[in-house]
Amino acid sequence: MTSRFRRLAAGAAAAMALVTLAACGSGGGSSASSSGPVTLTFWTWLGTGPTQKLANEFTKTHPNIKVNVVNAGRSQEEYTKLDTALKAGKGAPDIAQIEYFALPQYAITQHLVNLSGTSAASVIKSKFTPAAQRQVTVNGGIYAFPQDVGPMAMFYRKDLFKKAGLKPPKTWAQYAADAAAIHKKLPQTYMGNVDPGDPGTATSLMWQAGATPFRTTGTTHVTVNLDQPAVRKWASLWSGLLEKKLVTTDTGWTASWWHGMAAGRYATWITGAWAPVSMYAAIAQTKSDWAVAPIPQWTPGAHVDAQNGGSSSAVLSSSPHKAQAIEFLEWLDSSQQGAKQLANLGLFPPTKALLNSPSWLNAPQRMLDNQKANKVLAQAGDDVAPGWQYLPYQVYANSVFADSVGHDISAGKNLIPGLQAWQKSIVSYGNSQGFSVKTGS
Amino acid sequence: MAVGNAVVDDAAVGDRPSGARRRRGGVTGRQGGVTRHNRVGYALFLPFLAVFVVTIVAPLVYAIYLSLYRDQMIGGNVFSGLANYTQALGDSLFLSGLSRVGLFLVVQVPVMLILAMLIALAIDSGRLAGAKIFRIGVFIPYAVPGVVATLMWGYLVGRQFGLAGSISADLGIGLPNFLSSGWMLATIGNVTTWEFTGYNMLIFYAALRAIPVELYEAAEVDGAGEFRKAWSIKVPALRRALVLATTFSIIGSFQLFNEPSIMQQLAPGVVSTNYTPNLYAYNLAFNGQEYNYAAAVAVVLGVVTVVLAYVVQLWTARRERVL
Repeated sequence: MTSRFRRLAAGAAAAMALVTLAACGSGGGSSASSSGPVTLTFWTWLGTGPTQKLANEFTKTHPNIKVNVVNAGRSQEEYTKLDTALKAGKGAPDIAQIEYFALPQYAITQHLVNLSGTSAASVIKSKFTPAAQRQVTVNGGIYAFPQDVGPMAMFYRKDLFKKAGLKPPKTWAQYAADAAAIHKKLPQTYMGNVDPGDPGTATSLMWQAGATPFRTTGTTHVTVNLDQPAVRKWASLWSGLLEKKLVTTDTGWTASWWHGMAAGRYATWITGAWAPVSMYAAIAQTKSDWAVAPIPQWTPGAHVDAQNGGSSSAVLSSSPHKAQAIEFLEWLDSSQQGAKQLANLGLFPPTKALLNSPSWLNAPQRMLDNQKANKVLAQAGDDVAPGWQYLPYQVYANSVFADSVGHDISAGKNLIPGLQAWQKSIVSYGNSQGFSVKTGS
Repeated sequence: MAVGNAVVDDAAVGDRPSGARRRRGGVTGRQGGVTRHNRVGYALFLPFLAVFVVTIVAPLVYAIYLSLYRDQMIGGNVFSGLANYTQALGDSLFLSGLSRVGLFLVVQVPVMLILAMLIALAIDSGRLAGAKIFRIGVFIPYAVPGVVATLMWGYLVGRQFGLAGSISADLGIGLPNFLSSGWMLATIGNVTTWEFTGYNMLIFYAALRAIPVELYEAAEVDGAGEFRKAWSIKVPALRRALVLATTFSIIGSFQLFNEPSIMQQLAPGVVSTNYTPNLYAYNLAFNGQEYNYAAAVAVVLGVVTVVLAYVVQLWTARRERVL
């Protein structure tokens, strides 16, 4: 009796293992022949429901192209799956949402279709802002359609500033002075939060300070310089605020952090233009307390900004339906209909048409007490400084940011040693991956 | 814990046939019966073997194969011999993670095992009111998935609106920040102790139940009290169970992953990507695309674990011979 049960159990286990293996083997994505109707797989972490609806609208006018919208995880999670599929040689989607910082990595390893020289490239050149075009250009090639951008701005609690008798700062010097003043007046409130696990905001703020720490020449020569004056300027501002405990070091996007956002723990949140939609989803109850102002400047009266976040959608070179995929993206990201609906989902648009449309510019933002926020944010987009590049392996570099710089942020220490340690790990990883990495300018 | 369970299964499968053969050898004749019995034995064994080969042996062999290559973003896949291993043995990030779990092992495991042993002795003493409820109560944390347990504790000790935060703020007691770098390892130790004390308690309790009652009776005749019985009969009887529990705990410590990985979400500047060797291998493979090097790190980690577990077994076996 016992032995029969054991055999049954073992047999069942074996059968299950086989089923699992078979299931792994059959997830091969789209493989329909390209002559008839095709189905494209689109990996994105935009809301699956609304995005699928949008894709269905496309199919109405393009009956031969169906699009299957799949949420394969957000950012890093999706890249992990994408890397695994690319490594396995099957299972990769036709189109993937890829953030700008990760784009060079996939472009240089030739996993993405280079659009330059095609009609799609001329569409991108004519319809998107120059700043957005720069973000999808890697080593002279155009590798994706901009989907949304994140020019930075300062979201702030106007109720707290009023209580403290302050106006939103226009320069970083003023920001630092206000940080001391507001915490003195309101001991529960800090000027802002520096998330130890957020390399994106840190690098964007370096960008805004005029830094160019990462340079790639050709596809293999990389220069890393986190020891330049602009980075030091950034580091000394935030080191000072951290050492004086005028800013917090909470981990962002946690329940605790949102709790702090709602409770007035942070007076400002300096981040990308996409912020209001996330805020509305999490802390709509404070919508009458928030407003937006341009990001503080290093030089009084200047207009220098940077991008933080934002995504592109790219066609994978492994796709058997590249032409159809490009056709879909052209419609989704650059057509009047597609782009407008993406904006309605809360994405900040990269298309010139929308950025100049009076109805969009004058739309009240419900999260920011009905402020005409788009005017401020569109100006921020125009002010984005050219010349910034991400590493061809920024995904890894970002993953170890918290080990070095993030560690110093958590400890409330000077950030220079952390920056040096981060540079060291960036250099050694790059060399081990076959790049030729130099430090210094 | 998967490894622990595999060990249990393994032992069961290994013990059963030999015992059966011994018994049967006395009853049935030798010829004919043995070959038929063997055939049935193999048939019964085959499904297990198939699953074992597919799920344990094949991945191991593949990991070793991977660890001998180096696949670069620029330059492609090349055979690199033992280069990954020499790199791992000199990799300060890997070694610091290894020494961190070593420290964890030396501190957390004794605390947990002594606690589990005391609870098992208390339940076995028969003097506890509501012993059954107590037993299941101590065991229940083991049934809570590690991820949930860690999240729960993360919230309990969190600064913003956790219990520790509230106590700090409302009662004015200056509790330390349990998620800071000085306290993190202790916090993780606390979570794992909470999770696994009940499991180890059950191992000890089962060993205590296996002690023949005659021994106690004899001791009582000799005038031994409860404490004397516990010290002279029960604790020595726990030695084998202790070796088993220690072996599981060594494996568990070196494979520490869930708890630090969740804590990393709560305190990324504190729990680094190389906090434990497993976390390091994970980050290398899935954020760094260094599958080959990650495989080498995993193999080295596996060897270290096996050696340590073996040393514990050897050491206790020698002690047993001496005693």
